[in-house]
Amino acid sequence: MYSTSQFDGNAAFSGGGFMPSQATQATDSSSFSRNRDAQSLLPLTVKQINDAFQSSDDKTNLIIDGVDVNNVTLVGRVCNKAGRITDVTFVLDDGTGRIECNKWLQEAVDSNEVDGILDGMYVRLHGHLKGFQGKRSLNVFSFRPVTDFNEIASHFIDCVYVHLYNSKIRLQAGVPNQQHVTNSTPITPTKGYQAYAVPPNQFSGQPNNSQFTSQPKNAPKSVEDMVLDILHLPKNRSRDEGVPRDLIAQHLGIPMDKLMSLSSLTSLLKLSKILKFIDSFRFCRLAIKNLIEEGNIYEAIADHYKSIING
Amino acid sequence: MDTSNPAVFVNAELLHFYVGRRVRAVMQVIRSDGGAVIGKSTDEKQLVVKGSPPSVPFTNFVEVIGIVDNEKCIRAETWTNFGDAIDMFSYNKLCQLANGEFKHLFL
Repeated sequence: MYSTSQFDGNAAFSGGGFMPSQATQATDSSSFSRNRDAQSLLPLTVKQINDAFQSSDDKTNLIIDGVDVNNVTLVGRVCNKAGRITDVTFVLDDGTGRIECNKWLQEAVDSNEVDGILDGMYVRLHGHLKGFQGKRSLNVFSFRPVTDFNEIASHFIDCVYVHLYNSKIRLQAGVPNQQHVTNSTPITPTKGYQAYAVPPNQFSGQPNNSQFTSQPKNAPKSVEDMVLDILHLPKNRSRDEGVPRDLIAQHLGIPMDKLMSLSSLTSLLKLSKILKFIDSFRFCRLAIKNLIEEGNIYEAIADHYKSIING
Repeated sequence: MDTSNPAVFVNAELLHFYVGRRVRAVMQVIRSDGGAVIGKSTDEKQLVVKGSPPSVPFTNFVEVIGIVDNEKCIRAETWTNFGDAIDMFSYNKLCQLANGEFKHLFL
């Protein structure tokens, strides 16, 4: 099976064709994963390819997010298609940029496939990036028209996912005491990056600079809980006058995306209509208001609050 | 390779960032109105698209690539029928990703 004996493309194809040459150099202990990486098919945008090409001095080997780029898949519109007997050239415009493509026609079936593709059509390409006379072009193995147009959004979301995976998760894998333990599981060749679900908080992106980042994130905390946590901090417990509201808001430092994910957001918004203030602390104030109404906290002096627990 | 003239993924609320630049947007066609097509954007706002429509009839969902006239209007260069069922929610999320955290992959 594939997973037990690594498929040696070099032996099978005598090093010819599109099989990556890196396979022969991978003799160290990481050959297993190197081999897999070398054979991987990367969904990319033209912008990513162009950026990598511009920033790299090595014009023969392209690396994107730490991964050798060999075989790629792109989705875009075909422009300037020019067919000849032996090959067809065209420009693929994926909306982020344009790249010259070339496909050799070896058999009748290739020609038939190519004839069905016209300028302006959306296609899914699989190909191999190569440099020729200082120009990057794509040697296309297959291209076929997009029939379900969800494939376009799907492809670009795939690009984002693989970029995240390769630039963040793959690098973290193997580092002990990972926060996201599931991601450091060794990857078997039968599963690719596709098999790894990224926890939703991976996508929230902006590092949360509040003090709550270290807490388990499996159950999102409500703003109310966060306010209580602040009031329960030892240094805040000792304040006889309570904790000033501004300080609570400052402690919270809740990023917008966190707020947007609150299930109570709609009810908060309804409440906000009857409240006179509209300022950046309104969620904090609402949370405080809710907590007072529920009897969890009370106002010690004007705009200073204490929890009933340490009251 | 040339990345000098991209077409940015946009929804209606992102249009005002790209006045005079090339964008692409998917919309649900509502009606044609004397030289302009009125549609619903992926973020469920009204979108006006000018420019000569293609000779083939529209499907329910259409992608337009063109230059942004103003925050509500695109001058279309290219129309592509996207069929009768498109996941507008995912497409809208993609617009947000492509203009936010992952802008560097697109622009």
